[in-house]
Amino acid sequence: MLVNVKIGLLATVFTVVLLCHAGCAKAPEPAAAAAAPDLSDLLGSPRESGYRLALEPRVFEFPRDHGPHDGYRNEWWYLTGNLDTSSGRRFGYELTLFRFALSPDPPPAQGSAWATDSIHIGHFAITDVERGAFHVAERQARAAAGLAGAERDPFRVWLYDWSIQLFPGNSGDADRWQVSAADGANRLDLSLEPARPPVLQGDNGLSQKSADPGNASFYYSIPRLTTSGTLQVDGTRYEVSGTSWLDREWSSSALADDQAGWDWFSLQLEDGTDLMYYQLRKKDGSTDAYSAGTLMPPDEAPVPLAPEDVQLSVLAHWDSPAGGQYPNEWRFVVPQASLDLHIRPVLRDQELDTWVRYWEGAVDISGTLGNTPLNGRGYVELTGYARP
Amino acid sequence: MPALQRASFGYLLRHPWQLALALAGITIGVAVMVAVDLASSSAQLAYRLSMETLNGNATHQVVGGPGGIDECIYAELRVAHGVQNIAPVVQGQAESGDRTLELLGIDIFAERAMRGFTASASGADGLAARVSGLLTMPGAVLLTPRTAGELAVEIGDRFELRVNGRTRNAILIDHIGSGAGTAALDDVVVLDIALAQEWLGMAGRLSRIDVRADDDDAKQLSRLLPADLEVLNAGNRTQTTAEMSRAFTTNLKAMSLLAMLVGVFLIYNSVSFAVLQRRNLLGILRGLGVTRGQVFRLLLGEALALGIAGALFGIAAGIWLGEQLLVLVSQSINDLYFRVSVTGVDINALSLARGFGAGLAATVVAAAIPACEASSWRPRLAMSRSVIERRAHSLLPWLAAAGAGCALLSLLLVQVSGDSLAAGLTALFFLIFGLGLCLPPAVRWLTRGCAWFARRFAGNAASLAIAGVAASLSRTGVAIVALAVAVSATIGVSIMVDSFRTSVSSWLDQTLRSDFYVAIDGGGDMAPSLVADLAAVDGIAAWSSSRRAWLETPEGRTRLVALKMAPESFAGTTLLDADPDTVWPAFERGEAVVVSEALAYRRAIRPGNTLTLQTGPGPRGFDVAATFRSYDANPETVLVSRRLYDRFWDDPAVDSLGIYLEPDADAQRVQARLRAATGDRAVLSVRSNRDLRQRSLEIFDRTFIITHVLYWLAVGVAVIGILGAMLALQMERARELAVLRALGVTRLELGGLVTLQTTYIGLLSGLAAIPLGLLMSWMLIDVINRRAFGWSMEIVVDPAVLWQALLLSAGVAFLAGIYPAWRASRAHPAQAMRED
Amino acid sequence: MPVTASTSPDASVSLRHISHSYLEGVRRHVVLDDLSADFASGEAIALRGRSGSGKSTLLNLICGIDAPDAGQVIVAGHDLTSMSERDRTLYRRRHIGFVYQAFNLVSTLSVADNIRLVLELNGIGGQEASQRVDELLQAVGLADRGNSFPDVLSGGEQQRVAIARALAHRPAILLADEPTGNLDDRTAADVLSSLDTLRREQRATLIVATHSNAVAAACDRTLELRDGRLVAAD
Repeated sequence: MLVNVKIGLLATVFTVVLLCHAGCAKAPEPAAAAAAPDLSDLLGSPRESGYRLALEPRVFEFPRDHGPHDGYRNEWWYLTGNLDTSSGRRFGYELTLFRFALSPDPPPAQGSAWATDSIHIGHFAITDVERGAFHVAERQARAAAGLAGAERDPFRVWLYDWSIQLFPGNSGDADRWQVSAADGANRLDLSLEPARPPVLQGDNGLSQKSADPGNASFYYSIPRLTTSGTLQVDGTRYEVSGTSWLDREWSSSALADDQAGWDWFSLQLEDGTDLMYYQLRKKDGSTDAYSAGTLMPPDEAPVPLAPEDVQLSVLAHWDSPAGGQYPNEWRFVVPQASLDLHIRPVLRDQELDTWVRYWEGAVDISGTLGNTPLNGRGYVELTGYARP
Repeated sequence: MPALQRASFGYLLRHPWQLALALAGITIGVAVMVAVDLASSSAQLAYRLSMETLNGNATHQVVGGPGGIDECIYAELRVAHGVQNIAPVVQGQAESGDRTLELLGIDIFAERAMRGFTASASGADGLAARVSGLLTMPGAVLLTPRTAGELAVEIGDRFELRVNGRTRNAILIDHIGSGAGTAALDDVVVLDIALAQEWLGMAGRLSRIDVRADDDDAKQLSRLLPADLEVLNAGNRTQTTAEMSRAFTTNLKAMSLLAMLVGVFLIYNSVSFAVLQRRNLLGILRGLGVTRGQVFRLLLGEALALGIAGALFGIAAGIWLGEQLLVLVSQSINDLYFRVSVTGVDINALSLARGFGAGLAATVVAAAIPACEASSWRPRLAMSRSVIERRAHSLLPWLAAAGAGCALLSLLLVQVSGDSLAAGLTALFFLIFGLGLCLPPAVRWLTRGCAWFARRFAGNAASLAIAGVAASLSRTGVAIVALAVAVSATIGVSIMVDSFRTSVSSWLDQTLRSDFYVAIDGGGDMAPSLVADLAAVDGIAAWSSSRRAWLETPEGRTRLVALKMAPESFAGTTLLDADPDTVWPAFERGEAVVVSEALAYRRAIRPGNTLTLQTGPGPRGFDVAATFRSYDANPETVLVSRRLYDRFWDDPAVDSLGIYLEPDADAQRVQARLRAATGDRAVLSVRSNRDLRQRSLEIFDRTFIITHVLYWLAVGVAVIGILGAMLALQMERARELAVLRALGVTRLELGGLVTLQTTYIGLLSGLAAIPLGLLMSWMLIDVINRRAFGWSMEIVVDPAVLWQALLLSAGVAFLAGIYPAWRASRAHPAQAMRED
Repeated sequence: MPVTASTSPDASVSLRHISHSYLEGVRRHVVLDDLSADFASGEAIALRGRSGSGKSTLLNLICGIDAPDAGQVIVAGHDLTSMSERDRTLYRRRHIGFVYQAFNLVSTLSVADNIRLVLELNGIGGQEASQRVDELLQAVGLADRGNSFPDVLSGGEQQRVAIARALAHRPAILLADEPTGNLDDRTAADVLSSLDTLRREQRATLIVATHSNAVAAACDRTLELRDGRLVAAD
């Protein structure tokens, strides 16, 4: 997924400039700026920030790169998935753990395990299709004192009792990811096995977000993980199985001034084809030229998608009770692949009313590949639509 | 207003000064009571509010032993057990100039569920700035706008704080608590938990974990905790702390009731005068067919109106006075118990209602007696004064008997009421009241003797004056009692304070044996490494150390003091009931503990008993070897040896060291060496024993300022009473005095006569006050203080206190007599004789 | 006993075998000794007797201030001796008017209010009371002094106010204790005339204790108290 996009999503909480991109065209509060003069590092262009930048392609190495990348301002582990019980009950889930550095400098306080310059934020959502219910939880913690953090070997990222861990497969066995999260009567304990190797997005994993050099991220996905485990919703436990998608991204970049938000699609089709596409939206409503995607047919090399490779049209809208109108149904056509897809959310209201409001939800896909019917499932993320 | 009421009330309007004095009596009585009530409840409320605000939504708190809580517990609860709605706190104190501030170290991410004020900034960007600032900016703190203003710090400004003996650079990054409820956060410094740990030297430790949970969840939580941690109810904890000062404020309230009691006498005085002087009017009314009930209701209604007016004035005055007293009260509470920052009196309806009710009730009761008597008069016209006087005199034996009964009842109450403070105070009032009732008979008896003497040695005029006092006992009696009670309060309280001070002073002499004492300036933990370095300094013959800690259980808090004694130190602790030669070795071996007299008294513990304390490995019983004398403000203390402490509590720090010099060592040089050995680890505070003793006594004296203020107010009430009594008496005798003038007595002579009479009343009151005051001092020392604080002390009576009281009494009466004397001498004889 | 406004013209006083004594120190002092007498409605009686002979005591018994040790006092048909103190007070309020030697005006009330007080005690207020006050002040010749306070009035004027007050509520019985004792002859005559005029108008029974011949002469008959009994005067 998108560096800029996600920064815009969450860094809003921590930076003032970026807030404007999330839809609030408000100037920075002088008081806030005065209150935190050192924040200027964060607020300026990434090149002046003191953080490391994604400037040119790098060599990815797994499982090492599943782990944290210090020196970058932000990084995330982004899991979404569609699950079913054996009786056919349908659920969707999202578990995202973000790491944000507050300063490129070492933490000021000495002699305390609580001293840190980075924080973790987590979002956990369950879509209960049958009941039409959407459960959201959010957590924040400092990446210190054992409360939250990310470790490379073995890989583990956690925020309180939410965690994503990797158990590397021994000789021939597949890697196994263990995911757990809980909030009140809702709980998630899943075991994930990659059904395909990681796919590097953009230019060999370097995903450029605007013309500004360094305004880019390192970005890879594991677009298909076979998932099984238990899900507890409203106190009831379900044995579930299904398919997940892992997005990994780290950068120090921000949205460009003229970008307003984005629509992100992660689609898993029945024939084994996976498709990722993000459409950056400019403030004037037009599509940004840096929008991009990847078509990942089974057993073939991934094909990069540029905006001109895709025809995306909105078929329906949904008005958020909290304000703002989101697109809610799409026709997604990739002429070069003869793909014509109709994307519909399983639930219209899958809006996360967290510190920053956005929509992220499970979708159903029906369509055709050439003349053959082709269905699928996926997740869509929509940001920059929320209005007060 | 109907003619009947007008007829009666018209009298009061014609004698405005009498009305004013009655009002003043009620007003001052109510004012003192309301003021003390407001001041002490405001101080406690401020503390509670501040705690409630600081605790936020926390319903429970996880607390550990003296060393706090291992921070890993918190992470374990969060990560392994998924416990939510908990927040870590590292708390301590800082100083800015001479101001003490509370450091509240928090993890802002855990705060949203707990404390609104830490996590609510202006908008998402403000909060972002706050999170970022707290975590990344060195020295970042938050203050209320008022505290910031008082420290002259603006947002973005750097300023210095002294924490744990070191100067730290703080920077104010934002305000907390804008709007209402801010006062509770004044003097609070909010900072990141990491910074708090660093500044307070508490790496790895938490002061507590705040918990928001219902009781079931709290119980579940406690199962997840190791044995040395307790989950306590946050409200109870605040309550327990607040109640440490209760004995102190209860004593203050008792003092305020004393003023009220004197006020009651005064009200009785005024109202009974007003009734007596209308005996003619009442006779006429009765003759015209006004019933007894109507007379009673008339007088009572009047008193009620007077009481309401006086109580309202009293409340207004009490609020003002309460503000003045609040400074003293909160100062003392700060000195003795806990940090409280009070910005103003909290005018709570309950305190006002109490004062109003008490004032009204006192007035009505005081008025009911004369009103009852007046309505019982037969409607004879011009009920002669001599009849009333005779009746008053015939009442004297009964009065004496009732008084003696009250006093006996009081002593009985003391005997049977165990250690109830409320009963002790009740007994005190019974005693005062009872002895007060005995005074008029005593005065009569005394006056007969005096009049005889006066006639014999001072001539007729003097004997006339003196006999006049006895003859008009129905009026002078109450004034005498009021003054005597007020003066006896000065005696009783002075003796109590003197005795207390003497005991404390000799206790300090005994206790402070080291040549000087070393601690971190402004308070703070001395690390073992620092202690070791200091102990190794040349010129030190021996050293002792002490560590003070609170042990908390759901049942309450116990003060624990861990002592490492130098050989010379043992004599510093006076054992009251056991042989030091057997106690101290056992104590040093860690086989026994020693408890303070107050703790032994309060929990009925004696040497040989076992005392259960919360330790690191869980609750454990300890043998009590002896009780020791202590006048500490937190009187319930357990002494343990350092060895025992190290074994059962995980807290290596020390609060202070007592240094014994080698015989030939130079104190200045050793101190310099100590400072050098400390280096920049901390700023040391080194105090000689004399210095420490003086400071302790300063705090002691400061604590009793308010007591003095209160008894002077009681004296003030009494002076007004005397003034009123004398004015009324002169008015009553206007005709008689006019006759004297007509017979050729000069103005000067007449003024002298009146002055003589008032001075004599003062003298009588003073004499009566002496035994009353002595009894009161005994009561205050052996009953009230014992029950309130568990302290025992020698009664020390300085004769000067007694003759000063006599002088005071005569003096104030003399002053109170000047105006009536002037008035009497100015009265025109012819007019006075014509007056009805 | 119920004390209702007397509408009956009965204003008789009947004293039957009255004895009364009081304690003075340890000595019992007998004042009235088996005294009986009857006074008819509207009659004017002068009581004479030496100081201390019991005249005031007798008046106090008739007005219900005191109760006799023995015997009955029946006034306007009411037996006072069977009444409680409260009932006697209410009886006095309604049926008795009293004029004292020392006037005994309420010094804190104006002249008009002194009269009004009695009316208010009898439940008469407002316009009706004001009218009555004016009427009475007119009758005693003090129409212009209503707002004055008693202490600025002369003795005669004060006593005339007292008479107006005593008769304000139209009592059946008017008692007077040396009403002219403090006045000079001339003034006494004025006062007496006021008293007589008003009493006759209201047909009240008058019992007046007096040393004054002039007063006695104005009465229908004169009785003398001697040794605790009443005898016709010589």
